[in-house]
Amino acid sequence: MVSTPAVGRKLRPILDDLGRLLREPWLLVAILLIFAMLGIFIALPLVKVVQMSIASDGTPWQIYTNLFKSWYMRRAFTNSLLMGALSALTSVAVGFILAYTVTRVNIPFKRFIDMIAIIPIISPPFVSSLSILLLFGNNGLITYNLLGIRNFPIYGIRGLLLAQTVTFFPVAYLSLKGVLEAINPALEDAAFDLGASRWSVFRRITLPLAIPGIASAMLVVFIESLADFGNPLVLAGSQFPTLAVQAYLQITGMYDLPGGAALAVTLLIPSITAFILQKYWVSRKSYVTVSGKPTRSTVKAVGPVMRWVLFAFCMLVCLVVLTFYGVIVVGAFSRAWGFDYTFTLRNFGYVLDVGFETILDTLTVAVTSTPISGLIGMFIAFLVVRKRFLGRSVMEFTSMLSFALPGTVIGIGYILAFNQKPLLLTGTLTVLVANFVFRYVPVGIQNGIAALHQIDPSIEEAATNLGANSQTVFRRVTLPLISPAFFSGLVFAFVRAMTAISAAIFLVSADWNLMTVQILNQVGSGRLGAAAAFSLLLVGIIVVAIVLIRLIVDRLFGVRFETRF
Amino acid sequence: MKRSILVVAVLLVLSVAFTASANTLTVYSSVDEENARAILNAFTKDTGIEVRFVFLSSGPAMARIEAEKGNPQADVWLGAPSENHVTAKQRGLTQPYLSPNTAALDPKFYDPEGYWTSFYMNPMGVAIHTGWAQRAGIEMPESWYDLLKPEFKGEIQMPTPQSSGTAYNLIASLVLAWGEDEAFAYLKELHKNIQSYTQSGTAPSQAVAIGQAGVAIQFTPAFLQLMDEGYPLKLVFPKEGVGYEAPAVSIIAGAPNFEEAKALVDWLISVEGQNKLSELKTFFFPVHPEAKTGEGLPSFSEIPTIEYDAIWAGEQRERLVNKWIDEVLRGE
Repeated sequence: MVSTPAVGRKLRPILDDLGRLLREPWLLVAILLIFAMLGIFIALPLVKVVQMSIASDGTPWQIYTNLFKSWYMRRAFTNSLLMGALSALTSVAVGFILAYTVTRVNIPFKRFIDMIAIIPIISPPFVSSLSILLLFGNNGLITYNLLGIRNFPIYGIRGLLLAQTVTFFPVAYLSLKGVLEAINPALEDAAFDLGASRWSVFRRITLPLAIPGIASAMLVVFIESLADFGNPLVLAGSQFPTLAVQAYLQITGMYDLPGGAALAVTLLIPSITAFILQKYWVSRKSYVTVSGKPTRSTVKAVGPVMRWVLFAFCMLVCLVVLTFYGVIVVGAFSRAWGFDYTFTLRNFGYVLDVGFETILDTLTVAVTSTPISGLIGMFIAFLVVRKRFLGRSVMEFTSMLSFALPGTVIGIGYILAFNQKPLLLTGTLTVLVANFVFRYVPVGIQNGIAALHQIDPSIEEAATNLGANSQTVFRRVTLPLISPAFFSGLVFAFVRAMTAISAAIFLVSADWNLMTVQILNQVGSGRLGAAAAFSLLLVGIIVVAIVLIRLIVDRLFGVRFETRF
Repeated sequence: MKRSILVVAVLLVLSVAFTASANTLTVYSSVDEENARAILNAFTKDTGIEVRFVFLSSGPAMARIEAEKGNPQADVWLGAPSENHVTAKQRGLTQPYLSPNTAALDPKFYDPEGYWTSFYMNPMGVAIHTGWAQRAGIEMPESWYDLLKPEFKGEIQMPTPQSSGTAYNLIASLVLAWGEDEAFAYLKELHKNIQSYTQSGTAPSQAVAIGQAGVAIQFTPAFLQLMDEGYPLKLVFPKEGVGYEAPAVSIIAGAPNFEEAKALVDWLISVEGQNKLSELKTFFFPVHPEAKTGEGLPSFSEIPTIEYDAIWAGEQRERLVNKWIDEVLRGE
């Protein structure tokens, strides 16, 4: 008898949620559609892979126990965790300093820094690792030619940390810039007016407000580092095994699909732990700063000395990035990269001849998947933060999952899941687009969630009270408010569609091939110049695309986010 | 959002419509992109059979064929050393076709039941960066044991047998030539001079080309390609002998275009097909005794080779690789 009201108390909110949903059939359909897509394109391939990793005979966990009897696999596990943690720290530190300087400090060349800081996100596999070798290796431009050091130990943790920091800090930069832009400077102004010092304003206002963003950036980098195999494949060698590489090698080197699947499932444990930690930490520290009041400010957040220190740091980062890519530019126009630097255009002739169709294919895939990924990302973020419905956390959790899985396993999972009717998709454009959309949408979602946590729901509530339905609120209020996060979600989706390889290598077909796979092939067969030319073309396309995306987002949602209110 | 969903739907329909075209041979090629393109174009010219192909190195190709077993997407697996095709045969991924043209080949180049047929070969080689050798005052090594000298410390790159068939070929060849104990004693000594074990079988050639490493060990085509592009490399075949790979072609079980696939196998090992290997500058050695050897290639008979047993090597693989990890790699 006592339990009835208790059950009623528990049931009432669920029924209330359901009632609200039923009043908005559009929202209900959208939620069901998202669930269906997440189920098909994330859960199903994962289930197939887990199925594969569990032996069919009497001893289901045999594969796992065998793997972890090996000292080598245990070392791979600890190495992965170490690399993930170090990369998250260094990448987010660099990304935050840049983002803070660009959004809070009055320095010249902001646009320039913005462009340069985005470039390394475009790291075609193997080529940026090669440029590390050309710069810091035994015959490296900097180590040997400039400093006279032969035998600089670039292989192993040093080279890998450098490569991962350069590769992943733009991810942190993009999302933190979105977050810092969304923090209302009026709060900082108020603190200054009340006599707070610059340091205490930073420590007690700006930093705490940015913590959710920093946490999600760290999470993203940690997971990306765990799943990264392009960099360790070249720079870590066998002496520094990592889990994602071993999963890939188990499948492609030892032809052991179940073993590779088991390693990848193991990789899920730290990823999911990180995700859960972040979720509770971030949700406890959410602050609202955009409330529809004026946000224009002329804050002097840092002193003149600090201003120049930060400026110098930004320039140093730009210099490193430019050198990395400068080496590729030189390689693309040289007769023999690393040896004969006579100017030539033959690499481009070769690339346009051999790879023209592939370039068109790649563009089609990227242009198709980018807007879908961007919109779905913001929409899921909107649903998760602003709407209450049964299975909301399941939706957030599932949408994050594919990002935590190494690409190799997603690729294998996709082949296993989509090679039979009624889901016969292998070899088509659809399977490539679906892979890119659902593999990289979590970054958009995380950015969207972080940005939404900064925005007082009262703006949207006001729109609802004035009679707007959820569709209109999302399109006319939420999306414009989180347009910086939307922009970075779009950029990320496009860049990854152009540069990702680990899953794509299993999904390309005779009809649909991708530039990254071509680059890998050229590097593999020793045509370094052609690989460099391909990479340069790729970087060029992405830079143009980022400018276009910026123009489109600005056109759609007003020139700058700050000037809209 | 509705509009973009519509666009996807349209593209989905189009892509499905364009995939299905009859009598076009679909090839998974583990031969590199450019060489595969050249060889397959020559095949189309000679026979009129249209070919579509995608490059997949041997590991991804095998994983892919296995995953697609229930509904094969390709007809032919072209390239990858013969021991991979032995594994594919054991797993029931391929189907037999004994081409009449195999009559001219050495029996070690094809499966007696016709499950796979080797159509070119590459010896293992050691390449030295001549600029580095000059600066460091290194004499060109002539034997495997020369590589143990202290002046090579931290200068040698080779692939790891964990991921690379190339490295496994090297280890298995040395075991075949010297016996397991001597081979592993040698590898343990060599480990002290290794700069890095690369994951990819062709990565050492890039490292030696740009001078990151002084010495690289792998199969020869990438070395010859890089030398042709002008990189300062010297290619050496140690006098005790080197192993070689014999990449093969198999027809995938359930191939939709079996007839066209058979025509490709026939053509690849015909004298015309074999001559194309040198005409197209692939840097591959032909397997047909009457075919021409390419310009700039030494005659295969002049290279000291170790007889290789692909079937034995395939059976011992897991054991030898694990032994290598435990004894050689852990010795650091």
